Amino acid sequence: MKYRFNTAIATTLRRVCSSAIVAALGLVIFVASDLALPQAANAYPFWAQETAPETPREATGRIVCANCHLAAKPTKIEIPQAVLPDTVFKAVVEVPYDLESQQVLGDGSKAGLNVGAVLMLPEGFKIAPEDRIPEELKEETEGMFYQEYNTDSENVIIVGPLPGDEYQEIIFPVLSPDPRTDKSVNYGKFSVHVGGNRGRGQIYPTGMNSNNVASKASVTGTVSDVTALEYGGYEVTIATDGGDVTETIPAGPEPIVEAGQAIAAGEAITTDPNVGGFGQVDGEIVLQSAGRIQGMLAFFCLVTLAQIFLVMKKKQIEKVQAAEMNF
Amino acid sequence: MSVLKKPDLSDPALRAKLAKGMGHNYYGEPAWPNDLLYTFPVVILGTLACLVGLAVLDPAMIGEPSNPFATPLEILPEWYLYPVFQILRVVPNKLLGIVLQTLVPLGLMLIPFLENVNKFQNPFRRPVATTVFLFGTAVTLWLGIGAAMPIDKSLTLGLF
Repeated sequence: MKYRFNTAIATTLRRVCSSAIVAALGLVIFVASDLALPQAANAYPFWAQETAPETPREATGRIVCANCHLAAKPTKIEIPQAVLPDTVFKAVVEVPYDLESQQVLGDGSKAGLNVGAVLMLPEGFKIAPEDRIPEELKEETEGMFYQEYNTDSENVIIVGPLPGDEYQEIIFPVLSPDPRTDKSVNYGKFSVHVGGNRGRGQIYPTGMNSNNVASKASVTGTVSDVTALEYGGYEVTIATDGGDVTETIPAGPEPIVEAGQAIAAGEAITTDPNVGGFGQVDGEIVLQSAGRIQGMLAFFCLVTLAQIFLVMKKKQIEKVQAAEMNF
Repeated sequence: MSVLKKPDLSDPALRAKLAKGMGHNYYGEPAWPNDLLYTFPVVILGTLACLVGLAVLDPAMIGEPSNPFATPLEILPEWYLYPVFQILRVVPNKLLGIVLQTLVPLGLMLIPFLENVNKFQNPFRRPVATTVFLFGTAVTLWLGIGAAMPIDKSLTLGLF
């Protein structure tokens, strides 16, 4: 008994240790990659996957990207009105922005914008397998990597970050499910939710501001000094009744205050460098049954015939009425 | 052209009706069987075909399950409530909004007491009533369209 108890403790200990090691390693890799490639990490949707692991859509209908990408910009979705089961079709997410605009990167330098998109298809829809995609669509989607949001949801797909000047339109090759073979899917109309993003976010999931947002004064007072720092960024010193307060501005936004200026708490002290933004839009798609269409067309033919015969019968009766004049 | 029955002007009962501006169903194309038996089914079948086509090609969507603890980002009532919803939305005071909403049915209730001030039925002979009606329609459309727009554009409809 004691022996078994000991092994149980040992196993638990070993498990805790190994998971701690994995976690530590993961953290090291995470931090290291962040340090090595600071700007690459800024648009990665994995933060969304980490903060909202189940689904990127909150109960209110907001897509979680909007929690960090605060500016609103338009996004459009182009999908067919209806698709037949087991068919590959094209979903296009448009992420338009002014291609001349440049955003600030993590180190304060300027570069073009990245774009990304999240596409929430109805249950059962998924990215088409390689061998099902027609040649034309294959060319359009060459080199694209479609990532499932998590392992259980094939129908929620994220893409990005991609260079925005090449991908104003993000094309998804989608395969519709077949209700005849997959009993969990039904024919009918379903909603599609889309989020499209361009540019870097304004806050990190931790709540920290990025350098892609205007800095605000934290206290009311008078600006006594604005100094440029050696490695980019500025320090703004605000003199208050309770002593000097120093606001550190990361590289990127430019200060719009100067020494001697009175300033209130919450007032912007820098320009807003952000040029990007996030937008979400809903679409609808009908999973249509070929049998229903055929039935409908047959019914239309019957109705048309019946209407023609009724009019003909009426014309015949009118002739009788005209001859007999007894109505 | 269809068969037309001539009015029998020797019939004093019909003449009395015609003098009162009635009795127009005594002549012209007979309702039975020409209209009721043949033309009506044509229209009914056409309507049915339109409905079937819509039901098949554009079926109604089953919405998300409601959750009383999560208000959607954009809330809108049924379309016929857009105008009064817009009143409630743009008026700064909610009590004032409720009062203005209540004025809509109260105003409609006044109509039966006011409409006989002018005994004519022809809208061109009722200039005040027609103007009020057209103005009300325009305001209703303006409010209704505005309800589906963001609040900062809802009064100008984004045109100005």
